[in-house]
Amino acid sequence: MQNRILLVEDDQAIADAVALNLKIVGYDYARFDDGQAAADSLESDHAFDLALLDIMLPGMDGFELLGHMKKYGIPVIYMTAKADAASEIKGLLDGAEDYVIKPFDMMALMVRMEKVLLRTGRLNRIYRAGDVELDDYKHLVYKAGAPVEVSPLEYAVLLYLMKHKNLTVSREQLLSEVWGFEYMGESRSVDVKISTLRRKLGLGDAIKTVQKLGYRLEDR
Amino acid sequence: MKLRHKISLLAGAVLLLVLLTCAGVLLLYARKTILALAEDQARDKQSALSASFSSMVRYYAVPEDSDAARESLIRYCFTRFADQEGVLMRGGETLCSSVAVDPSLYALPDREDSRTAVYRGSVDGRQLLIVASLEWVQTDTLYVGLVRDITEVYDAMARLTRLFLLVCGAGVALGMGLLFLAVKKSTAPLSRLTAATGEIAAGAYDKRVTISGRDEVSDLGQSFNRMAEAVENKIADLTEQNERQRLFIGGVSHEFKTPLAAVGLHGDLLENAKLSEVEREDSLQHIRRAGTYMTSMTQSLMELLLLDQAVETEETDPAALLSIVSEAAYDGLAARGVTLVTACQDASPLPLNPTLMTSLLLNLVENAARSYDPEDENKTVTLRACGRCFEVTDRGRGIPAEAQEHIFEPFYRVDKSRSRKQGGSGLGLALVKAIADAHGATLSLDSAPGRGTTFRVQF
Repeated sequence: MQNRILLVEDDQAIADAVALNLKIVGYDYARFDDGQAAADSLESDHAFDLALLDIMLPGMDGFELLGHMKKYGIPVIYMTAKADAASEIKGLLDGAEDYVIKPFDMMALMVRMEKVLLRTGRLNRIYRAGDVELDDYKHLVYKAGAPVEVSPLEYAVLLYLMKHKNLTVSREQLLSEVWGFEYMGESRSVDVKISTLRRKLGLGDAIKTVQKLGYRLEDR
Repeated sequence: MKLRHKISLLAGAVLLLVLLTCAGVLLLYARKTILALAEDQARDKQSALSASFSSMVRYYAVPEDSDAARESLIRYCFTRFADQEGVLMRGGETLCSSVAVDPSLYALPDREDSRTAVYRGSVDGRQLLIVASLEWVQTDTLYVGLVRDITEVYDAMARLTRLFLLVCGAGVALGMGLLFLAVKKSTAPLSRLTAATGEIAAGAYDKRVTISGRDEVSDLGQSFNRMAEAVENKIADLTEQNERQRLFIGGVSHEFKTPLAAVGLHGDLLENAKLSEVEREDSLQHIRRAGTYMTSMTQSLMELLLLDQAVETEETDPAALLSIVSEAAYDGLAARGVTLVTACQDASPLPLNPTLMTSLLLNLVENAARSYDPEDENKTVTLRACGRCFEVTDRGRGIPAEAQEHIFEPFYRVDKSRSRKQGGSGLGLALVKAIADAHGATLSLDSAPGRGTTFRVQF
């Protein structure tokens, strides 16, 4: 069961970028460019785990839309160009879970989304790429339905790649996320774990080496 | 030293000097008069004494008298008329006297002219007035003197002088006190002015002083108030201007955030994500569009900034202007399927800046073209030159009443998402307003939702 996100953003370019990001890492989503239309649609379909709302929207602004989200218990993250403290305070006091200011970094937004989903107990912790499945509840990895033995570090690397499916992840990111900031080891350790994962799970083609950048777990 | 102290001290000194001078003159005159009076009295008395005594001696004297008899006659006669002040002498010998001094030492009449001699002065610590004359009785030359002690007159004059000085001193002290109070009262507004100046300097620009009266100080107060008023207005203007600029800059940076966010997000996607050809092309497209949008906004901003300078105008034929605008607008309108109709009702030249006015009309025409939805039919924009005005009319969706007063504000959008989709910078109408203002022309609009809009630039 994928997490389902409601995206309400009137700027085409930003909505496209966010939607595309959500899609490729494995979120399901519905998008609207009008606040009123989004609110109206909730009556028939409100099975969302999280809403990403712009504030200045045609039809109905984000602050008002928050009330409709609360009615269905949908947590909200604002993403807005309104950088003033008053708006941010209002948004958070009204009950939004988080507030990101444009221009924002998509990676950072996804981390915030994950935190909110985790906090509200809605995070789907089963990840899939091809025929490989990672069950983060049970800490198990399956290949075509059969459990595969992986070490804790390999598991952590695979989890990070799964969370950022179809996106390039740098060796530095992996080092700091999996091994920790203090780890002074070489990025060679990353390469070793990656090759083990490729071998054990038959992900030789799926985990791409992106020259000079890092690795990308592809599944599309 | 405070001004009121200075004025009081100076006035006190002047007062003292004047009073002392007057008192001195009066005292001197009084002294002279009193002494002259005393002398006259003494002279009268002495001459009466002298005359009466000598007449009596001449009456009773007979040539056969012995010296002794004559002497006793003289003594007798003298004592008949003289009191304690009289002195009778003969040759250097005192015949009759009840005073301790020898008057002939001080006042000795000349034998030749027989005039009266007068002496006034200090003898043994007493002030004496001595009047003396010579009388010839038979063979004798008699010295008849009057010695009058006028020490008391002098004492009285000294007392008078002291009293005068005391009164002068008290008068000066009282005068200075009153003067100090008066000066303090009349310089009090200056203290208030000083305090008010301090407050204004500290930022209380609404501070005013109330100074009654019609003197220079109240004039100063009034001109101070006028100055404070001017300062307050100027400060308010500057504050407002500053606030406008701050809001404008805030608006500009806000407007840049959305396209910048789009560029950042799509840039990241292109760099990091596995994308299909179509997705890649879409992302590139978004980046290009954001770039175009930011370019057009920057251009409008530059134009707005340049409008702060004075506008040069020249007599321009409206018809020529209309043809320039319609040519410049043609491609953009054709792409939207909008037809531009121009009409020139009055071709008399107008004083305007052709470049700026072209920009104004072009903005209005493009704005009018955006009022149509793509699916509308009969999309027509009319540009009319009507004597001292220009009008741009569309039959599009119109502007809601509540939006009409904001429509010329920078970055105001009636419908934000639609406007941006249609490529508006959010500055077009602000630019139109700025250009109209720079020409001293008034800008008005007449619009009803669903019926369309007419913008009018009236010279």
